Amino acid sequence: MANEENIRQELATKFPFMAEKIEIRRERRVFAEVSADRFMEVFEHAAVAMGFAHLCTITGLDEGENLAFVYHLARPDGTILNIKMTLPKAKPVIKTISGIFPGGAIYEREVADLLGAQVEGLPPGKRYPLPDNWPAGQYPLRKDWKPEMLDDAGFSKGEMKNG
Amino acid sequence: MNLVKKLVTWARIKSPWIIHFNTGACNACDIEIVAALTPRFDIERFGILLKGTPRHADVLVCSGPVTRQIQDRLVRIYEQMPEPKFVIAVGTCACSGGVFGGCYNVKGGIDSVLPVAAYVPGCPASPAAIIDGVVKLLTSLEGKKLLAAAEAPAEPMEAERHG
Repeated sequence: MANEENIRQELATKFPFMAEKIEIRRERRVFAEVSADRFMEVFEHAAVAMGFAHLCTITGLDEGENLAFVYHLARPDGTILNIKMTLPKAKPVIKTISGIFPGGAIYEREVADLLGAQVEGLPPGKRYPLPDNWPAGQYPLRKDWKPEMLDDAGFSKGEMKNG
Repeated sequence: MNLVKKLVTWARIKSPWIIHFNTGACNACDIEIVAALTPRFDIERFGILLKGTPRHADVLVCSGPVTRQIQDRLVRIYEQMPEPKFVIAVGTCACSGGVFGGCYNVKGGIDSVLPVAAYVPGCPASPAAIIDGVVKLLTSLEGKKLLAAAEAPAEPMEAERHG
């Protein structure tokens, strides 16, 4: 597990504030937890300097009081680095990573639509993946959300666009 | 006039043209519909032809539950069909919503949006069942015993149609 150990060492020396929160759960799987305000620098360092050039996906989690977002980064040797940050549900503001991974915008739209994350810097666009006329403020993958909270009247009735 | 009407009914029953529309199916019912059309079951020998546009079709064959995103598109396609027109719901999901009933992104069965003339249950509906459904629909036209849904004015049941 020398490879994984190198990753841990590099992250721990570069970012001492998160040294205790890096975990090698098994071969080729490294997990790290970062506070939201330091997230961008850690993420950028991993993506640019450490060769984690592939964003697999972004996982969104509802942990009751908090929302958590796990960014899964991979590199060609098969190692996956999972960077997790936790935010209060009342104000889940994350910064966009579409500057580093343009394709990541689609994952950000998903967590914004389904879990209600507020993504700072995400270019404006249509809803994804929920229907275009989905009522605002309804986040169906939150644990406190129930299908009964959907009211058919809440769907906007505007002329549909784009076919 | 009566003769003309009889002639038209005869022609319609001898060669009903269909359009197939996937309203959110998992593809299993679509494959069974294709199997029913192609040489193994070959309902084309009875003059049932799959057309590329709703404007040429008499029968709308729907598979899958109606998702909220597809709802407006389904109504639009139905409205493009010439009168008289009939809807066949193929598969359990199309009949009632099936396992997707109550999902946040699913409206329900086809009959939650359009009047349905024939229901073909099954997961997926087998080609034999689809043929049976088509035969029952055509017999009902022939015997002038129009099914209740087919007799109803050809309007979507919901007042909220738009698009």
